[in-house]
Amino acid sequence: MRDIIIGSVAFLLALVISSVWFIHARDARSEVLQPIQFNHKLMIEKTGFTCMGCHKLVKTNARAGIPNIETCGMCHSQMMGKSNEENKVVAYVRQNKQIPWRTIYYVPDYVYFSHRRHVGIAKLKCSVCHGAIASMTTPPRKQFLAIKMQNCIDCHEKYKASTDCYACHR
Amino acid sequence: MARYGMVIDLDRCTGCGACVTACKAENNVAIVSEDDAKMGRTMFWMKMLVGYEGEYPNIKMKFIPRLCFECDKPPCIKVCPVRATYKNEDGLVAQIYPQCIGCRYCMAACPYTVKVFNWYRYVPEKPMSNCINPDVSVRPKGVVEKCTFCIHRLQKAKELAQAEHRKMREGDYVPACMQVCPAKAFYFGDLDNPQNRVTEAMRDVRGFTLLEDLGTDPKVHYLHAK
Repeated sequence: MRDIIIGSVAFLLALVISSVWFIHARDARSEVLQPIQFNHKLMIEKTGFTCMGCHKLVKTNARAGIPNIETCGMCHSQMMGKSNEENKVVAYVRQNKQIPWRTIYYVPDYVYFSHRRHVGIAKLKCSVCHGAIASMTTPPRKQFLAIKMQNCIDCHEKYKASTDCYACHR
Repeated sequence: MARYGMVIDLDRCTGCGACVTACKAENNVAIVSEDDAKMGRTMFWMKMLVGYEGEYPNIKMKFIPRLCFECDKPPCIKVCPVRATYKNEDGLVAQIYPQCIGCRYCMAACPYTVKVFNWYRYVPEKPMSNCINPDVSVRPKGVVEKCTFCIHRLQKAKELAQAEHRKMREGDYVPACMQVCPAKAFYFGDLDNPQNRVTEAMRDVRGFTLLEDLGTDPKVHYLHAK
C-alpha cells in the first residue's frame, strides 16, 4: 500500500513538473523580445517605404533579408525624432555594431522555404504569413502563422501548389 | 513533368573518384570512424565499384560509379510502411527523412544496396565542420538516406526557371557528381525530351543497366564496349 502511495505521489509530481516545464518552454519559445521595439507603421508612414524597401531580397532570394546597420545608418546616423527606441538605433550606428535581431520565423534545415517562390513567383502578400505587420507599432513577439507543415499544406492545397514532399523537403 | 535520368560512360570513366568526393561534400554524407567502417557502416551515396579483369601481370581495372538508380519500378517503395520513400512526379525516388522511422525494409529491398542507415547523427570534426552544405540537411540518427540526384539543386533550378518565366533547359540542373567529372563521363537530363544529350546516350548500343533481369527499370544506364 505504501509503495502505491509513494509511486502515485512521485508520478503526480513528475507530471506537474513536466507540464510546468513544457508550458514554460513553449511560452519562452513563442515570446521573442527584440532588442529594439521597431515601429513598422511609423517607418512606412514617414518614409513611404514598402516591405521591399528594407527587406530587399524578398523577391529574388530565399531569404527576405534584414537590413544591416549601414542601411539604417543612411538616415539614422543622427536623431530624427525623439523616441527612446531610435536612440538605441543611433547608438548601434555610431558604434558600427549590427543590431542583434532575433529570429521568429524559421524552418528546420530539411525544409526549403524560399521567399522568391512565394512572393516573387506566386505573388503572395507578406500579410498571408506575417499578419498585419505593416500597421504594427511594435515588433511581433511570436509567429503570426505558426510554421507547421499542416499550415503549409493547407495553403498549398488551397492555391493548388505542389504537395509533393520533394517540393520542399530535402 | 520531367523524368530525370542519367547515363554514365564507363569507357570515359577513369575511376578518379571525383564524383564520390563531390557527392560526400555536397550532401553532407557522414564520414564514419575506422571502427564503424570495419563493421560495414561506411556511408556512400555515390560509391566506386572496382573490379579486376585478367591475370597478373595483365590486370585491367574496371570502375563503376554506383549511385541510386532512381528506378522506374523501385522495389524500395513497395516495402516502406510510412511512405517515407516514394516515386515523385519527376520520376525521382524520394527519401523524406522526417517521415522515415528507420525500419530499414527499403535497405533490404534495394537490390543495388544504395541506401545507408544513420547509426549516429553526423557531427563533423574540424575542419569538416566548416564544410556543411546549408542546402542539404544533416540527417538525424536512425533514418535511412540515399542519393537524391541532388534534389536541392532541382528545387533551386525550378525556382529560377519560374522566376525567369521560362522552361527548364538542359544543364540548368545537374547533380554534383556530374558537375565535377573531369572525364565528362556523365550525361544527365530529362528523358522525356528527345533533344537532350542524355536521351541520345540512352539509345547507344553500348548501353546496359545493372541487374537488368530484376525488372526495376533503373533510370541510370551505363555505356561500356564489350
